[in-house]
Amino acid sequence: MKKEKKPALTPEERSRRVKKAVIYFRRYWVLYAMLVLPVVYYIIFKYIPMVGNVLAFRRYRPGKGAFGTEWTLRYFQRFLKDPMFWRALRNTIVLSVMSLVVNFPIPIIFAILVNELRGTIFKKFVQTISYMPRFISTVVVIAILNELLSPSSGLLNKLLGVFGIAPIYFMNEPQWFRPVYILSEAWQFTGWTAIIYLAAITGINQELYEAAEIDGASRGQQMWYITLPSILPTIMIMLIMNIGHILSLGFEKVLLMYTPANSAISDILDTLVYRTGLANQNYSYATAIGLFSGLVGLLLVTVANTTSKKLTGESIY
Amino acid sequence: MRKRYHTLENFIYDGIVYLVMIFVLICCLVPFMYMLAASLSSPKALVSSTVLLWPKELTFDAYIRIFNYPNFFRAYGNTFIYAFGGTAIALVMTCLMAYPLSKDFLWGGKILTKMVVFTMFFGGGMIPNYLLINSLHMVGTRWGLLIPFCINSFNLIIMLNFFRGIPHELEEVALIDGLGWFGILRRIVLPLSTPVLATIGLYYAVFFWNDWFYSLLYLKGDQYPVMMFLRNIVNGTMELGGASGGAEKTTMSLSIKGAVIVTSTLPIILVYPFLQRFFVKGLTLGGIKG
Repeated sequence: MKKEKKPALTPEERSRRVKKAVIYFRRYWVLYAMLVLPVVYYIIFKYIPMVGNVLAFRRYRPGKGAFGTEWTLRYFQRFLKDPMFWRALRNTIVLSVMSLVVNFPIPIIFAILVNELRGTIFKKFVQTISYMPRFISTVVVIAILNELLSPSSGLLNKLLGVFGIAPIYFMNEPQWFRPVYILSEAWQFTGWTAIIYLAAITGINQELYEAAEIDGASRGQQMWYITLPSILPTIMIMLIMNIGHILSLGFEKVLLMYTPANSAISDILDTLVYRTGLANQNYSYATAIGLFSGLVGLLLVTVANTTSKKLTGESIY
Repeated sequence: MRKRYHTLENFIYDGIVYLVMIFVLICCLVPFMYMLAASLSSPKALVSSTVLLWPKELTFDAYIRIFNYPNFFRAYGNTFIYAFGGTAIALVMTCLMAYPLSKDFLWGGKILTKMVVFTMFFGGGMIPNYLLINSLHMVGTRWGLLIPFCINSFNLIIMLNFFRGIPHELEEVALIDGLGWFGILRRIVLPLSTPVLATIGLYYAVFFWNDWFYSLLYLKGDQYPVMMFLRNIVNGTMELGGASGGAEKTTMSLSIKGAVIVTSTLPIILVYPFLQRFFVKGLTLGGIKG
């Protein structure tokens, strides 16, 4: 629709428009009727909690409503001085960035390699199996990790024992928290994320490869000069999405991996919100931290999106 | 299919590719096979620690034991309620929203879509959500899990994009024939949407099946799903076995954990390969711009 300055409406014009609207709604009211329940859902369960973030600026008193009682900035002042907050922020950023650096390229490489497989049945089989971990509950993943990495009976420690290495308590020692988290993410999501890249690879014009082959390009060169540039738009979009979610780690997994021994490394913003808010019921304080992390996430995705739009022309909205 | 020549370079290249793939297969399969083997092995074999990928001294003790826990079947039943009930509600709600929004001529449709997309990047945090659901008196009822998660914006966008791709002509003909919009949705659009319904149904089902955190927040003890049951075993919150002696207990707990893991993950592992051809397509429809 073009935007024009509206001239004052003549009475005929107005009645014509009203008539048009009546006809429109008589025809399409059912579509609006379908929207009623979902829109109510969105208002109640998505937008009211968004407004509920004002609790970060309000003092919560039990039994006096979810929106608090009086305005205050004390929670922001408090968390800015709270060493636990800074620790959690640092842990979140370090874990996210490390996880992004490791886990962003892996599915791309995996997709490219799967694409190189010749046997169709073997290819299907590899793909199907590689999706499997994605369907596993975080609880199950942690339960399996606990067993595989157990210092007394775990498979890995038995294997290390063969090489004469003393058992390591992977799930409890702070320096192992990040590697275990990151590698188990890779284990769980590589195959799944690769679906998107594989779809992009399938869309590449095969003639490009034929031409390259005639020109004497090796398969490595074809991969580097054809496959990668062709899926670059997809890579950029995935990168924007990932950067936008950098403060929202796999919270449930971290919570399950959290032990008093590794808390100095494993306490991230979300677990801090969970502990202060839901376990200790400092609702306002926890909301303030949560709001901070949400706003930073929004800022990050906006910045990533605009940058990408300028540099590559790709954007998600 | 690209032509390949039998050169040394190609041979090495293929060799590397296959080695990587076999490594991936091992990584994906071994953890499960280990748990499966552990769940079927006798405690004695586990103590002598020779169990790797194949059960030793085959026994179903662990399974018999978990089936005798009074909570196990209740938890499993709860999981079924949430997975089926939640998925049904979620599919209906998602369709009801995606279908009208897929119509370009709908006044207000664009702004609504934008508002949906916005919720993918910003939302109320954990606490406002909890307080909301608490003040709706849903905490401690099954609705606390079934209702708040009944539309996922990402799934909605996938469905929306799919509906947009359905040819309009069919609907126009039906409209002229006097079929209402609900009729069109039910008799024309939905039958054509099996791929997307299967994909999104699977996503929702997996979400409800695997959830434990929201169950912990919003449900009471006797409403807990099987994942909470497992989490309590892993946590040590729940007493295991009753067998005497420390070593016996840890090994018994290993086979019990294995048994719970196998029984609680098996349904999903058995189902998803059949839906694979759908969700591979569905996932690529998730681009927000459509």
